Amino acid sequence: MSARYGMVIDLDRCTGCGACMVACAAENNVPPPHTRTTARTGITPMLVHKLSNGKEGADAREAFIPITCMQCGEETPCVSVCPQQAVQVDKETGIVMQMVQRCLGCRYCMTACPYHARYFNWWDPEWPAGMEKSLNPGVSVRMRGVVEKCNLCDARYHLALSKAAAAGKKEIDPADYVPACVEACPTGAIVFGNLTNANDPVAVAAHSPDSFRLLEQIGTEPKIHYKTKQNWIRAQADRNAVRSNSPEAQHV
Amino acid sequence: MKFSRRDLFIGGAGIAAGIVFTPVPWKLLGDTSIWTQNWPWIPQGAHGPVETKHSVCTLCAAGCGIRVRMAAGWPVGISGVATNPITKGALCPLGFAAQQLNWHPQRLREVRHGGRTASWAEAQAAFEKACGEGPVTIVDGRPGRAASSVLEAFAAKHAGDYRVLLDEETRALSPYAMWSGVSAAALGYDLENMQTIVSFGVPLLDGWGTPGRFTRLWSEKAAGAADPQLRLIQIEPGLSRTAARAWRWTAIHEGSGAALAAGLAQVLIQEHLVNGQGPAPPQMSLVDAAAQTGLSSDAIRELARTIVERRPVVAIAAGDEPAIAALNVVLGAVGTSGGIVLKSKPQGSQVQLEAGVGHRAMLLDSTVPWDFAPQTNAEVFRFAAWDGGNSKADWLLPSPGFAEELTDVPTASTSARETYAIAVNLVAQPGETKTAAQFLTNIDGTLPDVDKGIHARCEHLFESKAGTVHAEQATAVAKFESAAKMEEQLRQGAIWVGDPLKAGGLKCALKQWPAAANPAHAIDWTAAWQLPVFPPLAAKLYQESDLREAPGRRQA
Amino acid sequence: MKRNALVFLVGVVIALIAGWAVFPRVLYVSRQQPLDFFHKTHAEKSGLTTCDSCHVVGSDGQFTGIPRNEVCSTCHADKLGTSESEALLVDNYLKQSEQPPWLIYSQQPANVWFSHAIHTKRAGLNCTDCHGNYGETDQLKVYEQNRITGYSRDIWGHSMSRLRRAPGDGMKMTDCENCHRRHHVEVSCLGCHQ
Repeated sequence: MSARYGMVIDLDRCTGCGACMVACAAENNVPPPHTRTTARTGITPMLVHKLSNGKEGADAREAFIPITCMQCGEETPCVSVCPQQAVQVDKETGIVMQMVQRCLGCRYCMTACPYHARYFNWWDPEWPAGMEKSLNPGVSVRMRGVVEKCNLCDARYHLALSKAAAAGKKEIDPADYVPACVEACPTGAIVFGNLTNANDPVAVAAHSPDSFRLLEQIGTEPKIHYKTKQNWIRAQADRNAVRSNSPEAQHV
Repeated sequence: MKFSRRDLFIGGAGIAAGIVFTPVPWKLLGDTSIWTQNWPWIPQGAHGPVETKHSVCTLCAAGCGIRVRMAAGWPVGISGVATNPITKGALCPLGFAAQQLNWHPQRLREVRHGGRTASWAEAQAAFEKACGEGPVTIVDGRPGRAASSVLEAFAAKHAGDYRVLLDEETRALSPYAMWSGVSAAALGYDLENMQTIVSFGVPLLDGWGTPGRFTRLWSEKAAGAADPQLRLIQIEPGLSRTAARAWRWTAIHEGSGAALAAGLAQVLIQEHLVNGQGPAPPQMSLVDAAAQTGLSSDAIRELARTIVERRPVVAIAAGDEPAIAALNVVLGAVGTSGGIVLKSKPQGSQVQLEAGVGHRAMLLDSTVPWDFAPQTNAEVFRFAAWDGGNSKADWLLPSPGFAEELTDVPTASTSARETYAIAVNLVAQPGETKTAAQFLTNIDGTLPDVDKGIHARCEHLFESKAGTVHAEQATAVAKFESAAKMEEQLRQGAIWVGDPLKAGGLKCALKQWPAAANPAHAIDWTAAWQLPVFPPLAAKLYQESDLREAPGRRQA
Repeated sequence: MKRNALVFLVGVVIALIAGWAVFPRVLYVSRQQPLDFFHKTHAEKSGLTTCDSCHVVGSDGQFTGIPRNEVCSTCHADKLGTSESEALLVDNYLKQSEQPPWLIYSQQPANVWFSHAIHTKRAGLNCTDCHGNYGETDQLKVYEQNRITGYSRDIWGHSMSRLRRAPGDGMKMTDCENCHRRHHVEVSCLGCHQ
C-alpha cells in the first residue's frame, strides 16, 4: 500500500533551460538571492549542472544534469546524522522529509549528504514590499539558520490527499500529485511516479538498461534515477555504471 | 522581629520553589520557543480561498496558456496548460516566477515627467496639446490586438501615423514576404510536418518560438534516438544547448551562414537533388563557400546530400538573411507542407516604424520593448509597467502589469496556424495605471472599446465556423451552440486554433540568388523576454548557479 | 527556624497564587471580535442547523473556515432583523465589500497542515469532537490572545494545568498525537507539517 515516489530524469532530453529550477523556487517560497549570495551560498533545491566530455572542437559534447535531493532509500545519510531528528523517511511515500522547524542549523546533514543536495539559509528571507502576497500558502517560509532541501513538493501531495479525502478516498489520484519541476520541464525529461507500481512509467523507465543512479556503489539507494544512451555521461556519474558492450552505449 | 534581608532571600527561595509547581516556567518556556519561531519579519503565504484560474500570459507575443493558482485573491503559482495544443503545458523558465513581477522594485507606479512625479491629467493635457501642434506617431509593439484597433483608429482620426514594430521572429520571415507579396505576419513554420531541419544558429530548443511547441515535438520524435524521425541539424560556431542535443552539429565560422547556404544550394542544383524550380545558382563557388565556412568542399557536399535524405526539409534562420531564405526556395520548402507556410489570409501589411521620424510627438504602447530607443526630437510618451532605467522618454506612463489587464492575444509569429486567445485580468488593475488605449479613449471618447472589440472578434470567429477551441476538451467551433458560449470559454483561458490553410497559396518569385545581408547576431537566452526587468527568482539561473550567463542590462 | 519556614511558606503561597491566578490574566489579553454571532439562534431562525451549512469542505478538499461575505450575503444582503450585530455586519462589512477581521480561535502556526477533508470525511470525526458544542452557544467565546505567541488561549486550552478538559479545549500537537495514538493512526512529520 505504501508508495515510493521517485523520478527518472532523461539526460538526453534535458536542454539545461532551467525552467525546473525557477518553478521549484517559486513553489517552495525560496527567496530571491541576497546581494551577497553566490552559487555556493544560494538556495537551489533543484540545481542543474552542466556536464562536458572535456574535448574540444567537433568532438565536444555537452549535457545537463538536474540535481535534487536523491530521496535515499537505505542508510539515508542525513537521517542518520541529524541530532534533532529533523529529517525522516516517510513510510507512506518514501519521501525524505526535511522538517525545517526542528532544524537547529548544525549543518551536519550538509556534510553527510553525498549529493550536496542540501542548502543552508544564511540570511533571513527578504522580498520586495508586497511580493509576499505571491507566496505559496502550502509551504512555510524558513528563517535563517536552518537547512532545507527538496521535499518532492509535499505541499502538492497534501492537496492531493485532501482532494481524495473530500471524495471519500484514501488513495490519491496520481494526476493530482505532480511536483513543480516535473510540470515545468518543456521536453518532459523528468518522469515522476510511484516506483513500487510496476506499471507506472517511472518504474518502467527506472528498469531500463539505460538508467543509472549517482554514486550507486555507496549504497544509499536513491529514488532519483537518470537515463541516457551517452556513455561519456555514465562514465562521469559512476565508474561502475558504464556499460561498454551495448551498441547503443556507443552513441554519442 | 524586623523584616530583614534574610526574609527576602528565604521568601525568594520559597517563591522559586513554589513557582515550579505553577504553569509559569513551563508555559513561558514553551511560549517563548513558539515566539522564536514566529519572527514578525518572516512573511508567510496568505490565508484565504485558493482558486485556480486559466488565462494567457502576455509577457511576450507567444501567448502561452497559463494556469494560475490564486490565494486570497493574489496569484501564488503559475504553471502551463497541458491541453493547450501549442505549448502542451510548457512555459519559458522566467514565466514560472511571473507572479512576482507586479511587485518588482522597478515597477512604475506614477507618471514621471522630467525626473519628477506628475499626474495623468498633466500627461493628458500635454498629449492633447502635442496633437494640436503637429502629427503624432503611435507605435504598437504587438499589432493585431483589439487594443491595436484603438491605437490605429486614434492615429487615423487625428492625422497621425500608426506604426508597428515586428518582433525578431516575424522579421526573420521578411525575405519570403518580399518575394511573395504576402506580409511576414501571415507566414509561419509548419514544424509538425518537418522531417529535417537545418537550423542556422537558431536556439530551437532554448527559447525560439512558442515555449513547448518545438521542445515537445523534438522530445517525441528525436530525443535520444540514433535514427530519429525528426532530424535536427544545428549549424553554428559554438556548442549551444540546441547544438548539444541536435542529431548533428556542424561548426562553421562566425557569420558564414550565408556562404554555407550558397554552397549547399550549389551542390543541390548541380547534383540535381532538387526539382530545379528555384532561382539560378549563386555566384559563389563551392570552394569559396568552403573557405568562408571553414568546412571542406566534400563536407558541404555530404551535408547537402544528407539534408535531402528525409523530406520535407527546411532551413530556419535567426534573422532575415536572404541567402538562407533562398536556400529554402531551392529546397522547395516555401508554401508546402512541412515548410514555410501561409497561416492566415494575406492582408495589407502594416507599416513598420522607420528611424528618425520627424513628428511632434510619439506615443509608445507598453508592448514596445524597453530597449527600443527612438531617434527623434519628438516628445515621447512611453507606456510601461516597469522602469528599465535610462529612459529618454519625456513622459513615463504606468501601465497595467502581469494579469492586470483584459486584452487579447493574436497569432504568435512562428505559428503554422492562426490562433486567438483572451488574457483576463486576474488581479484588478491598480487605480494608478492606464493602458495606452484607455489614455487615448479618455481624450477621444468615440474610439472603439477593447472589451467590445474582443467580443466582436469572438462573434466573427463563431460565424466563420472554422477552427477548434481548446479548453479542458477540444470543441470544434461549428459545434458550439452560440457565440456567447464560445466566448465564455475563451474568457476563461481557452485558445482558438484555426484550421490549416490549404497548401499552394504561397508562391515565391525569386529568379536570382540574393546578395548577402548583415549576419544575424547571436540570440542570448533572454532575447525573447521583452520586459526590462526579470522576476527576482530568475537569479537562481545565474547568480545562485553557473547554469546561465547573467543577462545584459537592458538599456533604453 | 520556625519564622524562616513561615517566610518560606509565604513565598511558596505567593508563587502559587501568582502562578495560578495572576499569570493567566497577565499572559492573555482579551480582544474583541468584529461583531457578535449567535450560532444557536442563527441555526433556529435560518434552518441551517448543521455545521457544514456554512463551514464547508469543498470537492477540491479545501475547507472554507469562517464563511466569507459572499455566503452571508445570500441572505443578509440587506438587514433581515434588528440586531446590532447584523447591522454591523451589513453596514460595515457586506456593503463595503470588506471581510470582517475575525479572530480565529483554532489558528495554528504556518508550519502546521491540517486537512478538514481527511478528518471529517475519511476519519469520520464530528465537528464537536475537536471544537466542542460550539454550534449550540449563543455567544462568541472571548478571544484571549497569548501575548507571547500571538495565538488564542484555545490552543493550550483554558485549563492552565491541562487537567479536566472539555472536548475542543486544547489543540496543541500533543492533543493531535494523543488522538492519533488512541485510534492507531500513524502519521509522519510532514503528514501534519508543511
